[in-house]
Amino acid sequence: MNRFWIPLIAFALLCAMFGVALKRAPDKEVVVSALINKPAPEFRLPDLLNPGQTVDSTRFKGRWVLVNVWGSWCVECSRENPVLLDIQKSGKVAVLGINYNDKDEDARKFLADLGNPFAAVGVDREGRVAIDYGVYGAPENFLVNPQGVIVKKVWGITPDIWQNTLLPLIDGTKS
Amino acid sequence: MRNALLAALLVTVSIRAPAIDTAELPDPAQQQRYERLIHELQCLQCQGENVADTPAQFAADIRRQVREMIQAGSSDAQIRQYLLDRYGEKILLRPPWTLANSWLWLAPGLLLLAGVIIAVRIVRQRRQLLATDTSEPGEEETHS
Repeated sequence: MNRFWIPLIAFALLCAMFGVALKRAPDKEVVVSALINKPAPEFRLPDLLNPGQTVDSTRFKGRWVLVNVWGSWCVECSRENPVLLDIQKSGKVAVLGINYNDKDEDARKFLADLGNPFAAVGVDREGRVAIDYGVYGAPENFLVNPQGVIVKKVWGITPDIWQNTLLPLIDGTKS
Repeated sequence: MRNALLAALLVTVSIRAPAIDTAELPDPAQQQRYERLIHELQCLQCQGENVADTPAQFAADIRRQVREMIQAGSSDAQIRQYLLDRYGEKILLRPPWTLANSWLWLAPGLLLLAGVIIAVRIVRQRRQLLATDTSEPGEEETHS
């Protein structure tokens, strides 16, 4: 009898273990941000669109901000661009860009070609601010509340993510 | 033959690790700490690899961060904590010892132990069968 039951129970236990692990990590590539509910790192970076000036993140305190880390080399960023344009038009958040590991000319051309959804773009050529934000790729988006706290991180933004994940957080219909 | 030579060549070429860092830290003790730390950290852009051996931009940025923090006098623990605060525990290649992770560390030992116990029981049973076997050796050779 044991011959039959012991392997079966062992197998069932293994299945349960894998099931729980898969449920808890639906996508192993995705690293859950350690910065949720922490103050968004402040930064001062060279202004991509106004050479010689700086972008100061503290200027945006007191309103909802979507910090978008992007690069002209990032395919997903060009797909995301029209969604960001719509978000910017909605007026619900200030879209603050961090141009990550890019060349200024390439970045400016990217915005000239596709449209500029950003209230301001800081140039993070060495990826230092990116490390402060726990960034390891692009695009990465951080929703920051008026108190300056990161409430949500998402990777690429789709209209669905904006409507059903981010907007309810901003409107306070979801906590 | 030519293919085999080519294959051998490819293998030897790929075995050579690329020299990623151009300059070593001036202090050999600091360089040693640097080497150890960057082998502990996972490249999140290329998961499963450490930041010491990959040319990915992310790994280069993390190496620069570690190097600068060592030069600025940060301890190993401070550097680990700095990265943990930003990237979470996935930045470490070895999962830290926590309750949620405990099964990762315990499972291999427990499974090995279970295997040994089962093997010992099977061997004992065989021995007992042999001890109770009254037939002469070789008698039933056609059977096996």
